[in-house]
Amino acid sequence: MSDFLQSYGFLIVTLIQAGLLGLSLYFPLMAGQLSLASPGFYALGGYVAAIMLTNPAFAGLRDTLGNGIFPLTWLAAGLLCALAGVIVGVPALRLRGIYLALATIAFVEILRVVSLNLSITGGAIGIFGIPQAFGFQDRWQYLLIFGPLLALVLAFTYMLQKSRVGRAFRAIREDELAADAMGVPPTQYKVLAFVIGAVIAGIVGSMSAPFLNTWNAKQGTFDASIAILAFVLIGGSRSMWGPVVGGALLTAVPELLRFLQDWRLVINGLVLVIASLYLPQGIVGALAKLRKSPPPARPPIAPAPDAKGGTL
Amino acid sequence: MTAAVPQPTSRTVLEARNMTRRFGGLIAVNDVSFDVREGEIFGLIGPNGAGKTTLFNLMTGLTPPSSGTLMYEGRPVLGLAPHRVAALGMSRTFQNIRLFKALSALENVKIAQHTRTHAGLWRGIFGANRAEEAQVERRAWELLDLVGLSDRAGEEAGNFSYGDQRRLEIARALATEPRVLLLDEPAAGMNTSEKGSLTAFIREVRDKFDLTVMVIEHHVPLVMNLCDRVAVLNFGQLIAMGDPASVQRDPKVIEAYLGGE
Amino acid sequence: MELSSFVQNLMNGLAIGSVYAIFALGYTLVFSILGIINFAHGAVFTLGAYFTYTLVVGQFENNGLLKGINLFPDGSPFSGSAVMFGLATILGACAAGAVAVLIERLAFRPMRSRGADPLLALVSSLGVALVIVNLIQLLVGAEIYNFPSDAYGEVRPALSFKIGEKIVIIRTVQLIIFAVSLVMLAVLGYVIGRTKVGKALRAVAESPSTASLLGISVDRFILITFFLSGFLGGLAGTLVGTAFGVAGPYFGVVYGLKGLAVIVLGGLGSIPGAVAGGLVIGLAEAFVPAEYSAYKDAVAFALLFVILLVRPQGLLGRNLIQKV
Repeated sequence: MSDFLQSYGFLIVTLIQAGLLGLSLYFPLMAGQLSLASPGFYALGGYVAAIMLTNPAFAGLRDTLGNGIFPLTWLAAGLLCALAGVIVGVPALRLRGIYLALATIAFVEILRVVSLNLSITGGAIGIFGIPQAFGFQDRWQYLLIFGPLLALVLAFTYMLQKSRVGRAFRAIREDELAADAMGVPPTQYKVLAFVIGAVIAGIVGSMSAPFLNTWNAKQGTFDASIAILAFVLIGGSRSMWGPVVGGALLTAVPELLRFLQDWRLVINGLVLVIASLYLPQGIVGALAKLRKSPPPARPPIAPAPDAKGGTL
Repeated sequence: MTAAVPQPTSRTVLEARNMTRRFGGLIAVNDVSFDVREGEIFGLIGPNGAGKTTLFNLMTGLTPPSSGTLMYEGRPVLGLAPHRVAALGMSRTFQNIRLFKALSALENVKIAQHTRTHAGLWRGIFGANRAEEAQVERRAWELLDLVGLSDRAGEEAGNFSYGDQRRLEIARALATEPRVLLLDEPAAGMNTSEKGSLTAFIREVRDKFDLTVMVIEHHVPLVMNLCDRVAVLNFGQLIAMGDPASVQRDPKVIEAYLGGE
Repeated sequence: MELSSFVQNLMNGLAIGSVYAIFALGYTLVFSILGIINFAHGAVFTLGAYFTYTLVVGQFENNGLLKGINLFPDGSPFSGSAVMFGLATILGACAAGAVAVLIERLAFRPMRSRGADPLLALVSSLGVALVIVNLIQLLVGAEIYNFPSDAYGEVRPALSFKIGEKIVIIRTVQLIIFAVSLVMLAVLGYVIGRTKVGKALRAVAESPSTASLLGISVDRFILITFFLSGFLGGLAGTLVGTAFGVAGPYFGVVYGLKGLAVIVLGGLGSIPGAVAGGLVIGLAEAFVPAEYSAYKDAVAFALLFVILLVRPQGLLGRNLIQKV
């Protein structure tokens, strides 16, 4: 077991990381919004953690908190990305489709250029010597934080999709105008979906900075935007399992293709083309088609509760 | 007819004054004023392009007005966002059917209960919304029963026939718990037998939910049978208003439909 | 700002802006017809530069699978004279156009014919870009290849003149880029505005279904569009390559991204918009004060973000009205 973890732990963590980033893009998409901002928030979250863990200004805090500093970086990254999500999202979400996608690409690029030039982010070199989370000795131990995060995000997504908010997201994705006319305020929910995605990406970034030991402007790029979009579309954009499967698979493929050496990135590109041609519903979408879902069960007719309904 | 037709009370529910909407040089709705009384079925007819749907869009917030006012129960409506209008108690169907096509019939009706329910993000996440969800579920099934679609609750709305889609849209509109229901050409695309039962169905719905109904319709026999009063739009202007029989005899209306071209 | 530095910035801005313009035209042509953004356009740009370099120099001695192969042991016929260099540029651009046609046939058409989510076109075209970029790396390595300085014969490398006390230097390459771009824009404007092919193209862009009812072969015009798009992208690649070197397989990426800013700024799908957007961004970058030059690459995206919020249809785009 520990041999397995020694050799594959790093890869497995990377797969989970990809799945989480896929989920961060899946959230806005759930409400019909194509946002490519995830790498921007991922980078931002990473910088927050990297700065808190290395900058002398936080030395006192680090000494006081010990390992407690790590959860604090997650919290700080989540909060900051939520704030940034609102600031970027409120104006940008007035745009639709490809326009929103392009605005979010602009956000990622601006953030990248700015982080290349600030001294607090370490400029072009970035920040390094980021201490390992909780004094982990091995990379596989990051499974202990990324694993629960994935489980938590999946549970969150599952519950959300079943709820009133999830229905509102789907209504907006299907037909924003009709949703509005049926009482669902689109702007509010679009911003909510966008911010949830931002927070997830930010927390993943804050966990990844110690994992990678170093953080620089290469972490948030346009290529990453499209790679993450590919996770979701090729995995399947209509189920929360899509981004996870897509992220894991597309991250694993270049590893599995290592024996092809220099050809593997070429083949990786071909995989993207072929998958988008032949799996338009994504892998999970194609699997779901094979299985006919049962008709919804009618709840037993219960005596009507009093007029106010059962709200708490 | 199932029930005796209740006479509309004289209380005014909707009060439209000088409603106007310009698109560039075109005046789609021109200085339109009317009152709708509580409980009545108020028809809106007119030739194609007369501005009927634009008027509905103005009333439900989908199109911002150029000028004018609309009061619902004494409260201003024009200029509100559509979801605010829905929350006030006015709901609609669409001429070119805008169901959530890839979602099930059941889910369409559940979604529209949004303004009458309250569970936010965290209550949903922690499953503290069960009682409300049960309520939503039950109401959705009741509404599907009403329109006769409960045995197809799980099917995608986009797969339904036109007639069924129109009925599902009515169920969805009712799920917002409106006091005023605006139906945009409910009979379009329905077959003859469906059209035949539509009058009784709309009356039944009106009675059951204590509604005031506005309906845009082309099918003349339906309008004559169904509506308590009818208003006629032509080139954006209101040219006649009154009971169906007198409107039908109005020379201006006859000219609008027959002449002109 | 002093007049001399104003003139200097103006010339720099116009030269790079005109390249942005012709490059972005390639994007916008495809968008106007298919409503998709071809993310492989940046890679086609890169290819154009490498194709021309292959013709002019004939060997890549540094690295990669093609190391040691020399197409022209006796010296390339395309080198040493402006006319032959121009010919090589055109051939390089044509080859890039052919690649764009291939991309349409292999990556876009099958998707259209099965009515897939248009978003998938983004992924598919990015896949194509990955293939191209990594193939280049595999074949010739990641090194920068510079065109020989005498590639287009004996010309002065730069013009310089004085305004007041200050010297203004304009590289010959910049003038050539600007002139070629202007000629290209004029030709394209003529083709699209005045010829039958152009009319048909505009009809297809307006409404493919109506165009096909009118007897226009839509698929053929999509291919023509892709060829034009690739030609423009490849030409821009060569022009930039002559000015700054053929800077590795990834050197189109930045242009690919900035091209997006250009077409949105001008108005997606608008041809005059792409030209205006290119010039605006080129000039805006050129006028960034020296102390902020590190932020130059963010200028295009800041403009993109602002224009999307203020005027989403772009400078010259048509208003977007949603029908209820």
